[in-house]
Parts: sequence; C-alpha cells; structure tokens
Amino acid sequence: MNGTKYANAVGAVRAMETTLLSKSDIEQMINARSKAEISSISASKSGTAKPDDLNDVWAMLKEYAPECRELEILLYRNDFHNLKAVLKAVISNRDPEHYYISPSNVGLKELTDAVSTKDPSGLPEYMRKTASEAYELVTRTLDGQLSDSLIDRAALEAMQKSASSFGSEFMQRYAQLITACADIKTAYRCCLLGKSAQFMENAVCGSPELEKDALIKASLAGSEQLFSYLETTAYSDGAARLKESAAKFEKWCDDVLMELAESARMLAFGSEPLAAYFIAKEAEIKNLRILSVCKEFGADKETITERMRKLYV
Amino acid sequence: MTNGLVLAIIGAALAALLAGIGSAKGVSLVGEAAAGVVSVDPSKFSKVLLLELLPGTQGLYGLIAAMFILLRTGVLGSGAEALTVQQGLGFLAASLPIAVVGLISGIMQGRTAAAGVSITAKKPDHNGKAIIMAAMVETYAILALLISVLMILNIAV
Repeated sequence: MNGTKYANAVGAVRAMETTLLSKSDIEQMINARSKAEISSISASKSGTAKPDDLNDVWAMLKEYAPECRELEILLYRNDFHNLKAVLKAVISNRDPEHYYISPSNVGLKELTDAVSTKDPSGLPEYMRKTASEAYELVTRTLDGQLSDSLIDRAALEAMQKSASSFGSEFMQRYAQLITACADIKTAYRCCLLGKSAQFMENAVCGSPELEKDALIKASLAGSEQLFSYLETTAYSDGAARLKESAAKFEKWCDDVLMELAESARMLAFGSEPLAAYFIAKEAEIKNLRILSVCKEFGADKETITERMRKLYV
Repeated sequence: MTNGLVLAIIGAALAALLAGIGSAKGVSLVGEAAAGVVSVDPSKFSKVLLLELLPGTQGLYGLIAAMFILLRTGVLGSGAEALTVQQGLGFLAASLPIAVVGLISGIMQGRTAAAGVSITAKKPDHNGKAIIMAAMVETYAILALLISVLMILNIAV
C-alpha cells in the first residue's frame, strides 16, 4: 500500500497539471506578436485553481501532502542560498530581505537570528554545522567566495544525505542529478580559472555516478582531460553540450531533471507526482522568463525555441 | 443453538465483515483521490463519484452471501435449524470465497479506481476507460459471490 496516503494530494496535483503550459502553448507564445497576446495565452490555461508562482505551488503541495519532509529536499538549494545571502548581509550590515528567495524551508527571521547570534540551534539539523562553519570561515578569511563554495557543497551533500535516509528513489535520483550538474559546472569553471586542488576539494561534492576525486583530478589536468573524463561517465551528453556552450549545458541540466519528473507522470500514488509537479512548474516559470527576456531583446523565433526547456505536459 | 449453527453464523459474519472491510478501504482510497481532484476542480465531481462507487459493491456481495446463509439456516424467518457440525462447516466454507475475495478485490479495485481518478482529472473525456479498468477487478468478486451462493444453496439442510 506504499504511497496511498498521498492519494488525495496526487488527485489534486493531477487536476492542477491541466493548467500547466503545453508545448503548443509555448509555440503560440513564441509566435505571439505582443505581450498582451502572451498574457492571453497564459490566462487561457487558468483553471479554477492555478498557482501563479512557486510560493503558491509550494503552499498547495504543503496543504495536500500528508508528509512534507521528503518534498522539503526540493527547497534545500533555496535554504542554502538564503544562508549565503543572510551571512553576507549580516556581516556587511545590509538588509538581507532583498536577497532572500522563497519558497524556502527556513524563514528569514530564523536565519537572520541564527547568523547574527551565532547560534544555529534554531536552524534545521541539515544546516546547523554549515552555518557555523561558513560564519567562522568568512569572518576569519573575509573570502566570500570560499564560504559560498562551502555552502554550495553543503547544500548538495545535505540533499543527497536526506534523500538517501528518508527519500524515495525519485528524490535520490533528483539529488544525484542536481549534484552532478553543479559539480560539472564547478569543475569546468575551476578548470578555466585555474583554481587550486584545495579550492576544488572545498567546492566539489561528488556523487555515486561522478566521483569527486576523479573529477578534481581531471579538472586540474585541463579542460580536454575534464571532457575526456566526463565522456566516460553517465554525463557524456552533458559534457558534449558544455563543450558547445554553458547555456546549452544549463538547458541540458534542466531537461534531464524534466525527464526525471516525467518518470512520475504515470504514478498514481506516492510523493513523486508532487515533486514532479513542482519541478514542472519551476521549468514553466523559467521558460516564461526566458521567453519574456528574449522577446524584450527582439530575439528571433529559432533562438527562443532553442532555449526553451523541456515541458512536463 | 447447535455448534453447527454457530459455525454457519460465523460464516455469515465473515462474508459481511471481510467483504465490507475491503469495500470500506477501497471506497475511502478513491474518495481521498477524488476529493483531491474536486478540491481543485469541483466540476469533475460527478465523474469521480462513479469511480468511487465501484469498490463499494464487494460489501454488497458479502451482505448477499450472509443473507443467503441466514435464510438457509433459518436464522432469518421460520426458526433456526439444528445444524450438524459438518453442515455448519459447509456454510462456513461457502462464505469464504466472497469473504476473502471481497476483502482483497475491494482494496485492489480501490487502488485501480484511485489511479483512474488521475485519468479523469487530466482527461475527463476518457473517464469511461478509467471505469472499465476498475470494473475489470469486479469480475473476480462476482465469480466469488457466484461460487459462495451456489455452495450455500446446495448444502443439504
């Protein structure tokens, strides 16, 4: 009877999925001549309850899901991003609110209190150690980049750890894909910037399909060696896109996540359809943003189409 | 009351009880999924209601089998028969097909119908296919009821 406790939530999500933009909607939007036309296509998809942004989506998922612990992994990246933002804002006496992104598992006040009082006990267990270490590192070295890379790695480690301890196979795969994509990006940038092995040790997380030591070693040896190594892994397609351009690799990462989400499209029970809906909505919002920017700058239809992420529907 | 009659009554109770539990579980599972859909899109209420009703039939079959046992043994009607242990065991055994199959098929039909609710939510025009898929599970409950009833009717009292 696994997952039947999510029957109600899955029913609601399936009904909400009918309001997601389809491929043909996006094509119509690309061909649209004005912003008003784009808005009218988007409005035509409005059902009785169409969540407009990710905050609404998260609120709905939380309302319907009998248990959110597993789904919260989807927001770990936001939590750790907010930690970085609050850390910098507190140290430089700025208002962290402008840098805070939502939805997030940890509120702005909780984070600000934890950082300003140097007491992380109010934070979720997966963030406590990182918050202390990052604060200590940034105050000792005044190197924001170093603390950022520490926090980014910790986010990926926390995702993988939580996914393997209480997550479904879907969430484990999600954490692995996010980690691998982030690690490849980090390794490539470090390679181009000639970063040291020590820096990379701090920044790269590693995952079962992309071993940390091998990735660092390949990256230190140069971009050719890095690509040669990646071609021997499960991420050879991604390496080919990265060779072409960073933007194509970004698109590939998003598309791979969408393929994972698609695997939950046929499931009738469990938390997977909820997570997949969140990923789908994230991709939809990203597509609309890309579309709007491209239209703003007068990009041609081919360029816009090329940049559109895979859709769930 | 003879030991045989007690066994027959236990059989009637099992038929109503287990098949009823199966139906209750099945209907509640579909009900949860249906409520999720209706909370987002109330216009789909009538379509998901059909799916929710399907797993409810097993409880009804259990009730029919139990009624037959009670009528045949005279508990309902003319007065209870003095059944032998063999006759009582016969009624108890006759109740088992619908009791066990009713329990399992009720739950399983609930799962199938709850999955069908997703079809109705996304493609309301294909609601009939969801109903057919869930109704396939019903076949086995009907077969079990048939066997139970045949057995009940053919035990010599």
